[in-house]
Amino acid sequence: MDKKTDFSKNKLLHEPRWLTQKRLAAKKLIPKLGMPKMEHFKENDIVFADSESPVFIQKIENNTDNKANFIQIGTQTVQAKLSQAMTDKGVKLLDIFDAFEQIPDIMQKYFMTEIIRADENKLNAIHLANLNSGLVLYIPKNVALDEPIEVKLIQDSRQKLDWYCHILIIAEENSRGHFLQHLSTIGDQKNIANLMVEVIAKPGSHLEFSSVEELGSNTTLYFERKAKIETDAHIQWAIGLMNSCDTVGQIDSELIGEGSYANSQLVSVTGGQQKVFLNNRVTNHGPHSTGLINQRGVLLDQSKLIFNGIGQIVHGAHGSKADQKNRVLMMSPDARGDANPLLLIDENDVIAAHAASVGPVDPVQMNYLMSRGIPYKQAQRLVIRGFLGAVLDAIPDKDVRKKMIAILERKLINGQRYRKN
Amino acid sequence: MSVLEIKDLHVEVKDDEKKKMKEILKGVNMTLKTGEIHAVMGPNGTGKSTLSETIMGNPYYHVTQGDILLNGESILDMEVDERARKGLFLAMQYPAEVPGVTNAEFLRTAINVRRPKDDPMPISEFLNELDKNLDLLDMDEAMTERYLNEGFSGGEKKRNEILQLLMIKPQFAILDEIDSGLDIDALKVVSRGVNAMRSENFASLIITHYQRLLNYIVPDVVHVMMGGRVVKDGGPELAQRLENEGYSGLRDELGLDIKLVDED
Ligand SMILES: Nc1ncnc2c1ncn2[C@@H]1O[C@H](COP(=O)(O)OP(=O)(O)OP(=O)(O)O)[C@@H](O)[C@H]1O
Ligand SMILES: [Mg+2]
Repeated sequence: MDKKTDFSKNKLLHEPRWLTQKRLAAKKLIPKLGMPKMEHFKENDIVFADSESPVFIQKIENNTDNKANFIQIGTQTVQAKLSQAMTDKGVKLLDIFDAFEQIPDIMQKYFMTEIIRADENKLNAIHLANLNSGLVLYIPKNVALDEPIEVKLIQDSRQKLDWYCHILIIAEENSRGHFLQHLSTIGDQKNIANLMVEVIAKPGSHLEFSSVEELGSNTTLYFERKAKIETDAHIQWAIGLMNSCDTVGQIDSELIGEGSYANSQLVSVTGGQQKVFLNNRVTNHGPHSTGLINQRGVLLDQSKLIFNGIGQIVHGAHGSKADQKNRVLMMSPDARGDANPLLLIDENDVIAAHAASVGPVDPVQMNYLMSRGIPYKQAQRLVIRGFLGAVLDAIPDKDVRKKMIAILERKLINGQRYRKN
Repeated sequence: MSVLEIKDLHVEVKDDEKKKMKEILKGVNMTLKTGEIHAVMGPNGTGKSTLSETIMGNPYYHVTQGDILLNGESILDMEVDERARKGLFLAMQYPAEVPGVTNAEFLRTAINVRRPKDDPMPISEFLNELDKNLDLLDMDEAMTERYLNEGFSGGEKKRNEILQLLMIKPQFAILDEIDSGLDIDALKVVSRGVNAMRSENFASLIITHYQRLLNYIVPDVVHVMMGGRVVKDGGPELAQRLENEGYSGLRDELGLDIKLVDED
């Protein structure tokens, strides 16, 4: 796994020395580290076999719609723009390699230092050693973004090229923003996608992170998204995993500050032979902090989906709250799903609850809808959408919600193709 | 004119406790023609809901003998959705709740599956129709944006069934205890809804325990079911008689060996 990390071929080598050193240090760690730890996940469940060394990419034209603020295809940034008002206020939206040059202090302070570290596991170390794309969003103190920052990240699988993409979001004190990413794949080469998001939410900041994902079936995905949430800061995750690929993923909310808040919402739809393992973790460190997890999964075909919801309240987090709901709907007798809530509590004065369920579509609901003339498949999609609705409806942005529902509909229709009516 | 015929219908369900099949309907005969309203009365547990669910095609109920014909064609091999699109409708005794799907979205879907794919009902037409029917049923517009039956009170669920009836406009509507749990005003409102459907192209099978409903929706025929069979047919006066005497008088007159619930 640690072979062929050949920086000399990497044209992104206008990077600073400290970064190169950091990468080399990470590279040394790779053989010493294990895979990410996850309930019900064994090292061989999903194998992350890296591709041959990357080939150079022909210039890519930007023919995607240019409403988005930021577009990256493979390792190339083809668009990065902000409104004049936001630029004037000091907001920055940069290709990560530009950020290393232009805002080195910030990068040196936050990039894989205190939020996600390379030495946590093998895949993190590989990520840093091979980093080849990504972006940085910086929102200065007291600045509220006027509209969501829309980011399109397109995995370029027209060639053998593993994708090591890193997003760093810094929300300074009392800032506000909404970050929306859309992930997709072009081409059908087998590639790894190893994607990381680091969020630092300074005191009093509010950040929404929405993600609409439809990566292709020849990808093997590892992601880690982690936020450090300081005093009275809020973060809201709204993740729609509609990918077609094997996945190991972690979402982590570290409620560091007093009165901090995290709401981690996730829906996942799996189909085909797909295997998906997810950890959604919220850790209450700060007193009076609130950590909510709500995740719902739908399994089609022979897919496998493991939801681990981890709520941890550490000693000293008095008056804090942890609540989680994990629900899984099985659409096929051949699918395997599991929802495992885990509550680890080291403090007395707290409110903690969890719920988990795994089951098939309710035949009573199905019969009711069908008795109004709605065909089986369509009724099934309604029930599923209703089931996911609890999470989908909580997505504040209407366009995001619509987009997710449209992708969901496509994925479900595809998953139902073997049934006649 | 359309005809729905139930011929010598025998139905079994799986008894969950004893893990074996139990016969509920033991040869039901009934003929419904458009333009007619039929009422079915009968003691608890006699098979009235079983009859309605079986006509509609709930897969839980197994037909072991007999047939159900719509205009001469057997519908036994059709799934419930197909029967619905052929014109059958069942207002259920216990309507299901479907969280996450709004009432309005559900109604629009149910209407559009009856139309060609490329010709869905225009939104404005749908909304007009919806407003009209909400008015007729004294229903709050907010109900349509709520999730289908979720958290609805018993009475609200019943009204919502009638709203669906008015929007979908089936030919044959079976109303299973549409009056249970309704207060007097709601009873009138619901009856108004059903009466609005009355026409030469509409027939209804109304299952009820109370003669009172039949003062508002006057039936052409009253059937009495006991022990899984229709034991007597008559006009509205038959319902009146049952209201006065209960079922035991009729049972004894017919010399039937059936145990009624209140005699346990
Ligand atoms: N799922 C089931 N499992 C076992 N028995 C059932 C089931 N469904 C119905 N039955 C039985 O079938 C019989 C008829 O039930 P049904 O609901 O058709 O009666 P009904 O005439 O509608 O009664 P009510 O007036 O109380 O609504 C009852 O004895 C009932 O217990
Ligand atoms: Mg009944």
